[in-house]
Parts: sequence; structure tokens; C-alpha cells
Amino acid sequence: MKVTIHIWDLPLRLFHWLLVAAVPAAYITAKIGGPLIDWHGRIGIFILGLLVFRIFWGFVGSTHARFLTFFPTISRLAAYFKGRWQGIGHNPLGALSVFALLAVLIAQVGTGLFANDDIAYAGPLSGLVDKPLSDQLRGWHNTVFDLLAALLVLHVLAIVFYRCVKKHNLVVPMLTGKKQIAKALATSISANPATGFRAIGLILSLIISCIAMWGVSDGIAYLYHPGQSYQQTAQANPGF
Amino acid sequence: MNKKIALTLLLTASTTAAIAGPIEEQIRFRQSAYSFAAWNVGKIKSQVVDHPETFNKDAVAAAANAIAAVANSGLGALYGEGTDQGVGWKQTRLKPEFFQKKEEVTVAANTFNVAANELAKVAATGDINAIKTQFGKVGESCKGCHDLARIKE
Repeated sequence: MKVTIHIWDLPLRLFHWLLVAAVPAAYITAKIGGPLIDWHGRIGIFILGLLVFRIFWGFVGSTHARFLTFFPTISRLAAYFKGRWQGIGHNPLGALSVFALLAVLIAQVGTGLFANDDIAYAGPLSGLVDKPLSDQLRGWHNTVFDLLAALLVLHVLAIVFYRCVKKHNLVVPMLTGKKQIAKALATSISANPATGFRAIGLILSLIISCIAMWGVSDGIAYLYHPGQSYQQTAQANPGF
Repeated sequence: MNKKIALTLLLTASTTAAIAGPIEEQIRFRQSAYSFAAWNVGKIKSQVVDHPETFNKDAVAAAANAIAAVANSGLGALYGEGTDQGVGWKQTRLKPEFFQKKEEVTVAANTFNVAANELAKVAATGDINAIKTQFGKVGESCKGCHDLARIKE
């Protein structure tokens, strides 16, 4: 006997799938370069918005979106490896993967904001650091990407492993928000469906996310670089 | 006597050249050339792509001409043997493979050359959209060489 319960709320699912679209788009635009490097920058800002949203949603979202619900404590990890962990959201090992992915994505966005491509693109905050550091951050941006790619491969392999070996489909719940579980498990305390969704939390998270995106793309730039740039001189030849 | 002076002068000149370091000099000149090009790329980026309201036809045309001048200046002469190691204004990032990939390098360099000269032509017309398109192609040609011959940080 199976019952269907609600585990992933809609904002969480949207976050996930928008990220799935945005990360490859950022990669491809960077690889092609040329005029697309500006889109790489814009997608990066969008990913920053997604991450800020997710962090706030990790505190004010519904049950299984909250970091405290699935934080991989030592005791939870120990229980998981002994096969005694029961639950329906992120398992402790999956939770490690969630936090690792978030940390690496934050590092990736963080380095990109200050980097430049040595051609015709400079991250929106690159003016806050000197050129050698901005160049070094481009290097780290490349290195962190390799780390991100490795984690993503692991992420997909884990999903395939769960599908083929453990016979758990993880993709469908991430699409529909609903998970089928055995009826026996459904009555236990560890199979609590997602509750605590509040519109006010969603609105607040979205506002903070938008402020963050505006802040790095425009706001901070105004503070340190007001007015016209020397690159916008009205004269082709200012006297010499 | 004159021979002695000539010999001394020759020796002095060659020693001076050795001290100045012809390798370091090549690296320094090419780094300078690309920095100068980067300033002009920045002007076009700013006035054509980021802030088209500041577009100044003459300033952009002058910048495009400067980039084309760099492309046409014969930069290949600054990539002598051994110039994958050494410090110009800073340590060079030329990949050692540069010298094994002569054909690919030539293609990449020519792509930049053609794109830069085309940009100068288009910039002279003052058509901002055409400039923007061609400017993107120049950027791609820069990347072509960077990916091929430049060590990543």
C-alpha cells in the first residue's frame, strides 16, 4: 500500500529547476564568449538571486526546505550509515550534497562578481579589487567550476543509483512535489508532510533576492563609481 | 684603432642588449600592446554595448583604428623562441605549446587581424548596431587565442 504525501513546496522546486537551466546556460555562454559573455554575467546575477532566495527559504520555507530539518548532524549521518535513518526529505548524505552544492555555487558566484575576462567583460564588483586580484579570481572561478562540475556529476549519478538500485525515483517528486511512500511509514513521525508554507515568507525571500541582484549589478557600482567613466569621453581627441 | 672602437661598441651594444634581455623585451612589448588594445576595447564596450547613450562616433572610430593598428603591427615578431618563459611587466602566460601549434596560432592570429580591421571599417560608418555585432566578433577572436595559447590563472 502506498500513499502520496507532499514534500517539496513549489518555490523550492522552481529554485531547483531554474538552477538546472541557469548553470548550463552560464557554462555555454562563457565557453562561446564574444557578445555572449554579457549574458554569462547576467545569468550569474540570476543564479545569485536564486541562491539568496534559497538561503532565506531555508529558514522560512516549508518543512523539508528548511535547513534545520535536514541539517546533516553527526548523529543523523551515523544513523543513516547504520541504516537506521528514517525520513522523507533529504537524507543526511543527500543533505551533505545540498550544502556542498550551495557552498560551491556561492563561491562560484562570489569569484565571478569580482573577475574579468581580459577581453571585454568585467564583473560588476571587479572595480572594488585591483586587476591582479581580479585576474586571480578568474583563475579561481575556473577551478571552482571544475569542483561544481564534479559535484553535479555525483548528484546525477546518485539519482541514477537511487532509481536503478534502490528503486526510488527522486526526479518525479522534485517535479510534482509529491512522493509516494509505504502506508506503514506514512503514519510514523519521520514521514511528516511539508507544512508551514507562508506567503509572507515567500514574499520576503523574493524581495531580499531582488535587492541582492540589484545591489551587486547596480547598487554597489553607484557607490564606488559614480558618474561618467573615463571610457565615455565625449571627445575622440582631447587636445592631443 | 677604429676597428677597436667599433669592436668595443659592438660588444657594449650586444652586452647591453643581453642585459636588457631580448626575451623580456618582447614579452614587455607584447603585454603593452595588448594593454593598449584593452583600453580601446573598453571604450567601445562602454560606448556601444553598456552605455549606448554615450556613443561618440569619432571616439569609437578612433578606438577601433587603434585596435586595428595593434593587430596590423606585426605582433608575431614578439613571439620569438623562448618567450614562453620570462617576466615583462609581469610573468608571461604564453603556453609552451604555442611553438608546437604554429598553424593553429596563425589561424587564430589572422582571425583577430581580419576581425579588427573589419571593426575599424564598420566603426567609420558610425552604425552602432553593426559596430556592436563586429565588436562581438573581435571579442571571440581574442578568446580564440587566449584559449589556445594562454595559461589560465
